[in-house]
Formats: sequence, structure tokens, C-alpha cells
Amino acid sequence: MKPERWLDCRVLVTVGTGGVGKTTVAAALGLAAARAGKSVLVMTIDPARRLADALGTGPLGHEPRAVPVERLRAAGVTGGGTLSALMLDTKRTFDELVLRFAPDPAARERIFSNPIYRNLTDALGGSREYSAMEKLRQMHVEGRYDLIVLDTPPASHALDFLDAPRRLAGFLESQFLTVLLHPAAVVGRASLRLFRSGSELVLKGLERITGLEFLTSISEFLLAFEEMLGGFSERAREVSRLLRDPVCGFVLVAGPDLQQARSAESFWQRLQSEGIQLAGLVLNRVHAWPGAGAAPADDAAEADRAVEWLAGEIASRAPELDALGSARALVAATRAQAALARRDSGVRERLERALPLEPEAVRAIPLFAEDVHELEALARMARLIFDEPERV
Amino acid sequence: MTDLVAQLLARRLLLVTGKGGTGKTSVAAALGRLAADAGVRTLVVELGHAAVLPDLLGAQRASGDRPREPLAAGPNLFTLRLIPEDALLEYLELQLRVRRLARGIVGNAGFRRFLEAAPGWRELITLGKLWHMVTREDARGRPVWPLIVIDAPATGHGLSLLSTPTVILDTVRLGPLRRNTDLVQALLTDASRTLVLIVSLLEELPVNETLELRARVRELGLGLGPVIANGVEPPLVLPDAERVLEVVASLDGANAPSPLADPRAICASARHRLSRARMHAGFLERLARETASAPLVLPWLEQGVDGPDGVAQLARHLRRALEQSTDEVRA
Repeated sequence: MKPERWLDCRVLVTVGTGGVGKTTVAAALGLAAARAGKSVLVMTIDPARRLADALGTGPLGHEPRAVPVERLRAAGVTGGGTLSALMLDTKRTFDELVLRFAPDPAARERIFSNPIYRNLTDALGGSREYSAMEKLRQMHVEGRYDLIVLDTPPASHALDFLDAPRRLAGFLESQFLTVLLHPAAVVGRASLRLFRSGSELVLKGLERITGLEFLTSISEFLLAFEEMLGGFSERAREVSRLLRDPVCGFVLVAGPDLQQARSAESFWQRLQSEGIQLAGLVLNRVHAWPGAGAAPADDAAEADRAVEWLAGEIASRAPELDALGSARALVAATRAQAALARRDSGVRERLERALPLEPEAVRAIPLFAEDVHELEALARMARLIFDEPERV
Repeated sequence: MTDLVAQLLARRLLLVTGKGGTGKTSVAAALGRLAADAGVRTLVVELGHAAVLPDLLGAQRASGDRPREPLAAGPNLFTLRLIPEDALLEYLELQLRVRRLARGIVGNAGFRRFLEAAPGWRELITLGKLWHMVTREDARGRPVWPLIVIDAPATGHGLSLLSTPTVILDTVRLGPLRRNTDLVQALLTDASRTLVLIVSLLEELPVNETLELRARVRELGLGLGPVIANGVEPPLVLPDAERVLEVVASLDGANAPSPLADPRAICASARHRLSRARMHAGFLERLARETASAPLVLPWLEQGVDGPDGVAQLARHLRRALEQSTDEVRA
């Protein structure tokens, strides 16, 4: 899919391993959509303070904050587009769910004071992914924005969030949970006898390990949640559908080294197996060859000739300089740059072969020498993705 | 052995973490190599789905997808991929002393779906398994694994891992789970046995994340080793740089005998390197200032770290950086 068409999506998800610049690319995509006149929300996991500074939103929090109009204008947004950003807050997202779905104030208090709940929501693994998906669903349903750009969590298994809705639904519907909640209710139902004996065994075994108190806390927690479970399951399924809907586009962000290329390939396989289509690839921090044509192959004799010529030219123009020393250092730096540019274009070709993308759906962003967390650099990145792709 | 090398290798558990993309896995592998070469029997552990360490360290891959036993990667050097599901089964067998019961629990379909979504247990069982390996002794009472290096998850998940015992201790007051978690927490928070090493790049976001991560790790009561600045590009040594580049910029590229002498390519490459070096120096200074100790600097390796040779090269650089450091690890 061509980048211009990415902006027709209602949801864009940036995926990739940590450290490839997902958050920055997400912000640049948001900026580009705002320039196309859309009202855009960028959701990030990263505290991304410099980004917030560059956008002038003030510290990002759980509610969307708008980028001031003058900043937008400075970044080339003139046609009525808007850009807002928020940072996901796991605890707050869960609290909101409880507030919305708890049947009465007593149930709400039981949940808020349960030790498992208090710790689960901000400290334990997996809850970040749940809440990212829940917040995405919520903002999508509210429909305040033409486009939501979701910057996904930099997880070790970076596509865990895709599983989160399905796992949550599976968890809530699991019969084990039913037994944990209502051991008495199951007793006497002959059809469930086999299952019951299995689960009772499980419970007995677990109790020996965790102690009764822990299991009691868990059951209390789950009991308190029980009346809200239907809501949770339904929402999890909704998110699952949304992620697979054509209105949702996935943009893979990768770095140009071989290891990052390999993870990009395994990402793509994972997306494919989840039934998700890839809209495009942004290859970030690519070393460009600054000379004419493609980066030259490495050749010691060529390098010697280059040093000799360069030293002669420098010596004749500025005899006070260390011509030979300078020429050697400069040619060495240029050789290193050529090596990086060759490596990066090799990785790019490899990814272009491996991923089923038309050439226009692949965009390369050069490694900027300046700080990319400034608004101008962000605008430049947006231009490079959408208006003026460079063959780097 | 110099002080800092000896101090690190005297630990039992080294947790290598940091922002994604900083090269944690390579550094963990290099640390393992360095320790093994210094004569310490070392196990390098990776967590989760991808098995990259066997190839990186040059270990013979075992048949079967999930070997439960460590793979040998040379004298004193072993690697293991720790999978929570397998560790859970092992733990249940150990605790319940009835294999059939343990298998019954893990095989229960309802329990499996519960586990798929239940948060926290993976972290807990991972730490429990690490504790078990650290404390295991051979027949003569010597540790089976004098040193374990963990290729830990990146910042967010890494912190989840390290904070899990605190959460459990907050929640559970009695019983075997409490007792086990107490032991795990005692190991983690004992800086004479456990240190957290954070790998960073000398760039804005990784440095910010490193400093925040250090603060959080300290809050959790764990000991911190030196920051490792990885992938640092060699500086361009060019006296009178501005004047030289001015001269080069005035040259006519049409006369250049080689693409490597193209004045435009030379100026751009040199300026790029100079500005990267300035940036590196700035962040190195910031790290040194805010952590009150000099980071260990590992150079960018042109060939990459893609196998045992790259790991050995990185290990040599790591050793040199440790030997040159005048800092001490404060326990």
C-alpha cells in the first residue's frame, strides 16, 4: 500500500522491535496525516518527553493533549488538520473499566481494595498490552479522530499485544475460572464431573504451593470482576476484529542492520499467521551514500589513489595543513560510510524480497545527524515518508 | 585479574538489560565469554521464544525445540533458554513430589487457558528457576553454576520481572509461595551476589531510559554495575577540521580519481562522523555525571556481532574497558 493510502486508514499501528524508532515514526505518521487535513491522535507507550517538548503538548498523560496551532503551522499543517497525543496509563485504563462496569459502589470498592488488583494493574507483565488494546478500542469507538496512530509496546515478544485480547477472552471464559469462582455450583452437575475432578485436583495442588490465602485473594478478585466479565470478553473480541479490519493498517518499522532485518521478517510472519495485512515498511536510520550513484565497493587500491589525490590537492591549496594525515582520516571515514551504506542497501533489498510489498510501500529514512526529537526533524521525516521519498 | 573484572565475576547473577536495540544479547554473550575465559564456569541464560544464544556463542544445538539442559559452548561456557512453561512443570514436580499430579495440573485445559492470560506467573517462575540454579550445589558442596548471566528483557518487561517479588510479597503473607519469594528477593537484593548491568547507546533516548531504569532498579533494592555504552563509533581524528573540510569542499569532484575521493561524499561522511562523535561525547559525559562513574565503552564493530568470533571480539573490548576503569562496584 502506498504511504498516501496509509492515511486513509482509521487506525495505523507501528510495530517493530525496540530501539528502531517506532515512537518517532508514529509521531511522523501522525504529523503527515494532520498535514493532509485529518484530525489525528497518536497513542504512545513511551514517556517520550522530548517528543512532547517538540510537539509543545506538555507532559503526555492518559487523556489526549492537542499540539498547539502555532506548532502545527510551523510543521506545515495549514489545512485544518489537528494532532493530539496521549501516553497509555495501564492503571488508569483498568480503573476506568472498573468504574464503568462495576454494578454498584460496593463492588467497585471491593475491586479497588483487593491487593491483587492494586498490584496487578501496574506492576505485573501483560497488563500493559491489555490496556493498550482497551484504550485503542475506546478511542476508536468514541470516533473523535479521523486517524489513530498506535505506537505498540517495545516488548521482548513484541507482538504480545495482538494476543492480549484473545488471551483475555480465553481467560475469562475458561472453565477453570468458573470452578475457582463457584466450586459449589459445579458440584452435582454430572456432565461436568470429569472436568470437575480435574480442576479440583488442580486447585488442591495449587493450594499446596501458593497457600490458601493467595488463592482466596485471587478468587475474591475474580469474583469482584465476575459481573463485568461479559463486558471484558466482548470488548476483547471487538479489538481483535478491529485489528484485522481493512480500516486498520500495520506499518513495520525496522532498522537497517541484519539482526533488525531478521526480526522484521519474523514480525511479518507473525502478522501473517494472525491474519493481519502489512500496509508498509519504514526502514529507519539508514546510512545514505552521500556521493553520486550507489556506494562504491571497498577497494584498498582505490582508497590509496583517493588519499594520494586528496593529499596533493590539500597540500597545494593549504600548505599549512597536515595534508597526508587529513587525507587518510577523511578517506577512512568515507570508506566506513560506504561500507555502512552498502550494508544498509543490502538489508533493504533483502527485506524487499522477503516482504510481499510493492516498492512504493517501502520508505527509507536516513540516519539524521541532528536530534530527531525536534519538530523540524519530525516534519522532515513525514516529508520523506509521504512526499519526497529518497532512494537511499 | 583486575579489580573490576574480579568484582563482576565474583557475583553469582548478572542481569543484563537496557533499552531495546542497544545490543543486550551481544553484551550478555560477551560477558559470558569473558567470564569463561577467566576460568569461571558460566551459564548464559536467555528468556522467552527466540533462541539466539546457541548460534551467537557457537554452542551445538540440541535435537528438539526446547532442551531442558544447558548446551555447552566451549570450556566453562554454557547456554540455556529458560521457558516459563517448562520451568513451571519442573517446579510443580519439585513441590508436589508427585509427577502425575504436576502433569495433571499443567495438562488441565482450563488451567492452561488460565495460565495463558494470568499475568505475573512467568516472571515469578523465571526468577524461581534462576534462584534454584544459583543455589544448586554439587556433591562436594560447590555451586554448580558459580556465575549466571541473564540476557534479561528490555526496560519495561525487565522491570516487570524484577518487581514481581515485591508485588508478591505485598500480597501473600504466608505459605510456600511466600517463603520461596522471600528467598528469591533475598538473592536479587543482595548486591554481593546480584548486579544489574544496563546497556545503552550514546544517544538521547537510550541514555534517558538508562538513567530512569537505574533509578527504578535502585528503588527495587537491587545493586547496579557500571553502565555499558555499546556500539560507540570511533571518533574522526581531524585537526583543523573546519579548514580541511573547507578546502575539500572547494575541490572539483570531476577530477576525483575514485568515488572514495568524491569531495561531496568526503565532506558529508566527515561531517556526519564529527557530529556523531560530538553527540557521543556529550552523552558519555552526561552518563558519567549522573551515575557518578565512567561508563564502559564498547566500540561499534564493523563486522557486527553475529557469531562466536564477534562475541569473542566484543569480550576482548569489554575486558579492556573493565581493566581500564578505575571505578569500583559498590556492593
